Amino acid sequence: MQLAVNIAVLTAIYALIACGYVLVYRVSRVLNLAHGELMMLSAYLLLVTASQFGSHWAVAIATALGLSGLVGVLVYLFLMRKMTGEMVLAAVLTTVALGILLRGATVLIWSAQQHYPVQRLNITNFAIALPGGARISLCAALLVATMILVYSSLFAFLRLGRWGVRMRAAGQRPLLAAQRGINLHIIYAMAWGLSTLIGAMAGMLIAMDQGLDQTMATIGLKAFPAALVGGLDSLLGALVGALIVATAEILLIHYVDPLLSEVVPFAVLIAVLVVWPWGLFGTREELDRV
Amino acid sequence: MLRKLAAGAAVAALIHCPASAQDAYTIGLTGALTGPPASTYAPAVEALRVYLERVNAAGGVNGKKVNLILQDDSAEPGKAAANAKKLIAQDNVILLMNASLSSTYAPVVAEAKRAGVPVLFASSVCPKDVYPPADPLEFCTTAFAANYDSRATLAFIKETAKEPVKIGFSAMAIPLSRGEMDFAESQAPGLGMTVVDKEVIPPPTPDYTPFATKLKDAGANWVFSWAPWVTQVRTLEALRRLGWRGEYVAWSHIEAEGELARLKDGRFYVIGANALFQDELPIHKEIAGAAKQAGVPYPAQQMAEGWIAGMVVEAALKAAGWPASAEKLAAAMANLTVDTKGLRGGPIAWTKDNHFRTRQYYRVYAWDEAKSAIVRVKDWTAFDVK
Repeated sequence: MQLAVNIAVLTAIYALIACGYVLVYRVSRVLNLAHGELMMLSAYLLLVTASQFGSHWAVAIATALGLSGLVGVLVYLFLMRKMTGEMVLAAVLTTVALGILLRGATVLIWSAQQHYPVQRLNITNFAIALPGGARISLCAALLVATMILVYSSLFAFLRLGRWGVRMRAAGQRPLLAAQRGINLHIIYAMAWGLSTLIGAMAGMLIAMDQGLDQTMATIGLKAFPAALVGGLDSLLGALVGALIVATAEILLIHYVDPLLSEVVPFAVLIAVLVVWPWGLFGTREELDRV
Repeated sequence: MLRKLAAGAAVAALIHCPASAQDAYTIGLTGALTGPPASTYAPAVEALRVYLERVNAAGGVNGKKVNLILQDDSAEPGKAAANAKKLIAQDNVILLMNASLSSTYAPVVAEAKRAGVPVLFASSVCPKDVYPPADPLEFCTTAFAANYDSRATLAFIKETAKEPVKIGFSAMAIPLSRGEMDFAESQAPGLGMTVVDKEVIPPPTPDYTPFATKLKDAGANWVFSWAPWVTQVRTLEALRRLGWRGEYVAWSHIEAEGELARLKDGRFYVIGANALFQDELPIHKEIAGAAKQAGVPYPAQQMAEGWIAGMVVEAALKAAGWPASAEKLAAAMANLTVDTKGLRGGPIAWTKDNHFRTRQYYRVYAWDEAKSAIVRVKDWTAFDVK
């Protein structure tokens, strides 16, 4: 039973992070390689709001989430918007540069030491006993619940919401969408905001569960294979990819060798891409190279 | 006319700068000031900087200022190599310091050896070349010591355990940590302990629970971890969340004191070579005062390691005299004894063959739930380094 709980928690972590990659990619075809750093920045923002709002943890978390979404929108408006119409590679490299900048800035502002947001929020991350003798921490349980909530909301939003349909239209046929009066910049800004907001949820909950330091940015990258396995432009793919990668990782840690956990996501990725080059649920794209 | 004057002043300033540098001891440091492992190294480097600033404010060493040049290598060997090259060739340092991951050692040592400049490892793990028979150019002040730490920890566990020991190990997937846990694993059966599991955890890991699950399921009643702090403490916390009630021993890194107080876990021991600030020695008060005055962004409890490095650098420069060269400094360092004023169990004594220290002392601390304070569980125990 504990094994199943461990798989559920790791799936939730990977799925929430992968979701951010997918949202930006399916709308703008830009691979946001600063997603891990933006996630880390959001967790540090929680530290700030926790200090400001003391024991009002709900206010602190809501404010940090709001600020994170705003950061995503601002990144688009002041940085990625300038990349519109430029080579996709240039946009991707811009996100790499942004990531490096954010890493440096977080050290300068918050120093390199370990932080524990849960302490500042006066929350006890207690363990919850589950049937079968398994246990899960409060924050890990919240990660799983958040994943379920985020994915169901996103599916509903993209299928039924007016702005969700516009977002899909902008992703599938940007020219046609623009001709139909959809403001692409608003859609792109919204995608960046949503992506950063969901990454923030993952970052904050991981930081509350495990503590916060500079390694969080790298955790963001660890979820990347999950997004690729599922297909970079598919939300369902991100969810399935996260489940596959997390399951393989946990089972190999438990039954074979813990060291394999580093290699497994990429081994799964290669195995899947050899058979389905666009991922399990990805859309086949036009090739601009042989 | 004004332009000529300005140009003349600029030239004079340019000529004056190198002269000033030559009038001071110039030492350089390459360290992981940023990057994933920075939390271990940056506070120590900050402490060293503050210490040397105080030395300079008090008149310097042998009447000369100490010019410390800091270079960030983000724990990347390539950057460390470039830093070492620049510090030696451009800045003409007489001492090269390293405060970074062991993967940066090879290029730094290679550059230093080419130039005949001594290398001091401060807060980074001591390489085997500083133990007897020591390399003439390599020295180390860092508290932790491969193999000796495991011997001391296993001896403590044997002494403390009230029932047969079923021990598990937790390492980070880096050569040094894995090597030490392999060593401990080989020693434990000889002390009557049963080794039940060893987890080698890759950095970074989003969730430590899968590794903790294995340690718990293996039936360990003791777990020993010798790894960067993040691996040590997150494995412990994951174990506790799983309901594990065993005893946990970890190396007392610079974060240990604050973390003992945060976790308030009576079955969590830290073993180390530095006295914790709860001992309230006069030197601790001095460090805390200096940290406050300098506005250091790290807790004073994390500064002992860098402070000790500063004490040793000051003593070495003093012994080398003025004018000092890399050669004179290396000779002075090969016969040096530094009183750490209680920060360690004894002095740091270097000889021609031993550039680690002739005796290594260990102390064990834990959280006392009844007293609601950190307490000394075992006082200084000495191990001869041969």
